Amino acid sequence: MLDRHTLVEQRSPDWQELARILERDAPLAEQRAPRISRAAALYRAVCGDLMRARQTGSASDVVAYLDALTARAHNALYGSRRYALRDALRALRFGFPRAFRKNWPFMLVSGLLFVVPFLIGWLGALRSPGFASTVLPLKTLEELSRSYAEGFAHGRAAQTDAAMSGFYVNNNVGIAFRCFATGILFGAGSVFYTLYNGLVVGTVFGFVQHSGHGRNLFTFVCGHSPFELTALVVAGGAGLRMGAALIITEGRSRFGSLKKCAGELSLLVAGAAAMLCIAAVIEAFWSPSAVPSAIKYGFSALGWLMVFGFLLGAGRRDIAEVEP
Amino acid sequence: MAERAGFASSETEETSALDTTAIIETPEHVRFTSTVAGPARRALAYLIDLLVRSALITVIGGALLLASGGHDELVSGWKMGALLLLMFALEWGYFVICEMRMHGQSVGKRALGLRVVTSDGLPISFGSSMLRNLLRAADFLPTGYALGLSVMTLDPRFRRLGDWAADTMVIFEARPRLREPIRLDPPPTPKELSSLPARIDLPGQVLEALELFLRRAPELQTLREDELASMIAPHYAARFGVEYADASRFLGLLYHRAVVEGHRAR
Repeated sequence: MLDRHTLVEQRSPDWQELARILERDAPLAEQRAPRISRAAALYRAVCGDLMRARQTGSASDVVAYLDALTARAHNALYGSRRYALRDALRALRFGFPRAFRKNWPFMLVSGLLFVVPFLIGWLGALRSPGFASTVLPLKTLEELSRSYAEGFAHGRAAQTDAAMSGFYVNNNVGIAFRCFATGILFGAGSVFYTLYNGLVVGTVFGFVQHSGHGRNLFTFVCGHSPFELTALVVAGGAGLRMGAALIITEGRSRFGSLKKCAGELSLLVAGAAAMLCIAAVIEAFWSPSAVPSAIKYGFSALGWLMVFGFLLGAGRRDIAEVEP
Repeated sequence: MAERAGFASSETEETSALDTTAIIETPEHVRFTSTVAGPARRALAYLIDLLVRSALITVIGGALLLASGGHDELVSGWKMGALLLLMFALEWGYFVICEMRMHGQSVGKRALGLRVVTSDGLPISFGSSMLRNLLRAADFLPTGYALGLSVMTLDPRFRRLGDWAADTMVIFEARPRLREPIRLDPPPTPKELSSLPARIDLPGQVLEALELFLRRAPELQTLREDELASMIAPHYAARFGVEYADASRFLGLLYHRAVVEGHRAR
């Protein structure tokens, strides 16, 4: 049986060598090949030392030291793949639409959860401002309405555009992220936020139209709404998917069920975030511009075609390439 | 890899003791333990990160405001937009960028020796990092990470919702060091050593016991030290046919001859 002293004396040169390799700043994968294989050999040897030390009931400091060294080496040797921008773009181009189609029932439910209250809010506010004021404070509504009173015949100053693009990204992507994240409460948060967003947007539409500024509003929102509304629905749908994974586990533990769909979830949310960033740019620079409304409506139609063409058509052929 | 991970976690997760350690089994069939970080340490790390983010906003925002000095409205609009984008990036991207660049750490986590790893003890991927940090929005509910904290206290690995979804955990990375070999103080004199047999062979367990005692001895009161040492010192004195004056000192000499000198001889 090896006592502590012998074990340390004989083996510590190896331990120190492994520790030195791990201490280097560059990740192990980027170091020279001989050094990587040396590290792997040392790691296996240290694994053996750890087992021996534990079995012989060696002094606790040796076991603790070897335990930590093994953990660090294991972490370095079995590291996850390096993340490259190219992979992210590929995931967005192919993985995102595929995840969208795979989870179409959730997207449909999320869409309905948005559209139905949207219509209720719209029609209700169109009929009576009293209805609108039960959803949002009258003061807020009137302020919103006033902001659309002027129209965009002269466009808007470029400085405002720039400031607003920042605001839109900050606000809208934040809303979408929250809409998704609260889906972990068995879907309840996503249901709530999607319903609420639909109702509020619908009510604002109805109220502004009721005040007679509907045309201004529609020419403003038509450009970015294909991206923004779809992304909100996708984020909500991803939240519903997450909630459903916790409820319908198909024989797995709740945790295992959630773990299984985690990859799709991150694809969906990343896709929604990307769409919202596109929407923010359009909303800030195109929507308030002085472009004639006919062109704006045409652009909007093109946007809807692009969004749904992408979500329904992209990544169908490239399956072999997308799957790692 | 996935199969292995599933196997290891299903086997170890259920049987883990009531302790803040997570046992991880490697493909080499070695198990190592990671100390899971508790809510207090993680909250402190979060506070540090919060300070870092506020400082960034203040410094960059201040620099932006002071940069032109004039009243050029066009420039100020762009600056406002940039500032808002920065705020967005710091709110939603700070942790992801940190965890990717700093191998699972953020500034606060590094300061407190924490690291995010997967439940198999591996470095996290971009997807996991994104998921666990997005779900901060859920963990934060209703305010101040109340939900996240409640979920953490129910889980032996202190995972918040984001950790659950992304299959990650936050571990405390101690860097234990090997202790220095025992040196007798004062060093053994030739006279003392000459009274002992030239070669002493003791079983490993006895040597471990002796070592544990010698490491503890300086912290013990003299009487207690003598009492403990006297429990086995007479046994070995009889066995090697020697006499001793101080039991603790005698055990130290035994250890010295058996390990320090014994090893050199081998």
